[in-house]
Amino acid sequence: MKKKSKTDPALSVDIAGLKMKNPVMTASGTFGYGEEYADYVDLNRLGGIVVKGLSLKPRLGNPPPRIMETAGGMLNAVGLQNIGVEAFIAEKLPFLRRYDVAVIANIYGESYAEYAGVAKQLASAPGVHALEVNVSCPNVKQGGLSFGADPKAAAEVTRRVKAETDLPVIVKLTPNVTDITVIARAVEQAGADAVSLINTLTGLAIDLRTRKPHLKNVTGGLSGPAVKPVALRMVWQVAQSVSIPVVGMGGILSARDALEFMVAGANAVEVGTANFINPLATMEIVVGMQQYLKQNRLKNIAEIVGTLQV
Amino acid sequence: MAGNIYIGEVFRNDEIRRDFFLMKIRLPVQFDRPRPGQFVMARIAGLQDPFLSRPFSIYAYGRGRGGCAIELLYRVAGKGTRILAGLIRGSQVEISGPLGTGYTVDPTKKNIVLIAGGIGIAPLSLLARELRRTNSRAADAVTVYLGARTGEALVGLEELKASCGNVIFCTDDGTLGEKTLVTKAFRRDLKKYDPADTALYACGPKPMIRSLAGLLKDEYVCQVSLEERMACGVGACAGCVVAVKDAAGNKAYRRVCADGPVFNLKDILWE
Repeated sequence: MKKKSKTDPALSVDIAGLKMKNPVMTASGTFGYGEEYADYVDLNRLGGIVVKGLSLKPRLGNPPPRIMETAGGMLNAVGLQNIGVEAFIAEKLPFLRRYDVAVIANIYGESYAEYAGVAKQLASAPGVHALEVNVSCPNVKQGGLSFGADPKAAAEVTRRVKAETDLPVIVKLTPNVTDITVIARAVEQAGADAVSLINTLTGLAIDLRTRKPHLKNVTGGLSGPAVKPVALRMVWQVAQSVSIPVVGMGGILSARDALEFMVAGANAVEVGTANFINPLATMEIVVGMQQYLKQNRLKNIAEIVGTLQV
Repeated sequence: MAGNIYIGEVFRNDEIRRDFFLMKIRLPVQFDRPRPGQFVMARIAGLQDPFLSRPFSIYAYGRGRGGCAIELLYRVAGKGTRILAGLIRGSQVEISGPLGTGYTVDPTKKNIVLIAGGIGIAPLSLLARELRRTNSRAADAVTVYLGARTGEALVGLEELKASCGNVIFCTDDGTLGEKTLVTKAFRRDLKKYDPADTALYACGPKPMIRSLAGLLKDEYVCQVSLEERMACGVGACAGCVVAVKDAAGNKAYRRVCADGPVFNLKDILWE
């Protein structure tokens, strides 16, 4: 399983100490715990795998229906169903350790103490290379969003997580705020090693026949190509506002999309909804990036980061 | 093998009844023989709206020199299936699968009873064919209860008659067969089926499954195939869940795509 696949040094990136062979990661909640897609994707060829959000105790998640496709996107309200951090370490990490890939544990809490508790358990778990802190889930009542929409609360979550671990800490930001750069700066000052954005945009889909929402949770998070322009704008704004690395995501389907995010200022990218459309999307994006570097005679992918000409 | 996305070629795609289509797709020989109850995710390459694949039960499977073929029996229910219905011979579709668990077949049981509502006949037809292919004696022991809203929606009947000993069919409006609900037709015969000697298999709309759950005592084992909206089809997105009782008796959500689509009827929680 673990094999040194031929890596292209021109694609390697270092996100605040998180070393990856390429900038292509899978977005939390779209790639399970890695094993679900292992029949399709050679996990050794990914830059990183961000696993499904983990809480201290297992979470049931929201009642179905949980998803609905909309024009150019999809709404989801899964509600952070997960097996809990202990079961993740015992049952899922051993599988991931068999691969030569960065594993980023996405964590979630309903209180400062829960965020700290999950971070503490993962801090010493072999095979976890970084934490991504979800302060931005729109789909659960104490949804993290209440932390992610308030600069003080987002900063406090960041401090509490940082106090528990030496792993690089990436804080995942919500787009459901008036000014995302305020939150980005707040978590940077609180010690975040990087930020990732955007989480989903809160949306609603209606069944006209029944006049009911398509989702049992009423609202859900919008992802997919429909959100890409919003995501690009926010990545561009945040990249100019902070000096820590930025991980960009939101509707990336192709290498071209991923490279646009890097031009906007992202040091790495996460691919989410695209995995559902085409399980091989991440692989195709890595190959497309290599071709782009070659065609443009670039020595390293970093050369395009933040090169937007305005 | 699973883990591949196959380019299938549409061999036929006929409207066999109003809004019901039968699509035959040729696939490379690497596509595994499906277990009855398994499904595929199908998508038209490059299509933007809708862009997600759609899940379809496998209705029939055949293998020949240099390739194999599957048949999908589907009803036009929305944008995706309407576009699919427009595909002509020679069109390409992306197919991944076979996916999911499928029915566990126990041909040793004296009575094998299939209960289907509407398009729910699709996975049960493959089961009936498999029972006949693998054990001809069992085919005679198979009884099928098939119901639909109207005669127009009672699809797959002739094919079933070819592979099953007894086919009992009915419609809600009486336009074909007896005017009754399929669960009522089945309930009438229930005492003929000794729980220890009977394997039950079902697929159909939620109200049918629910009423089946209500009339079957705990001694009966009934495997039921469920349908939900899906995004990934492989268990990654947790979008297609159903509420069940777990081993400890607690409520849990299981993924229809990866933990199912076939579940033990007794485990399903009705909310």
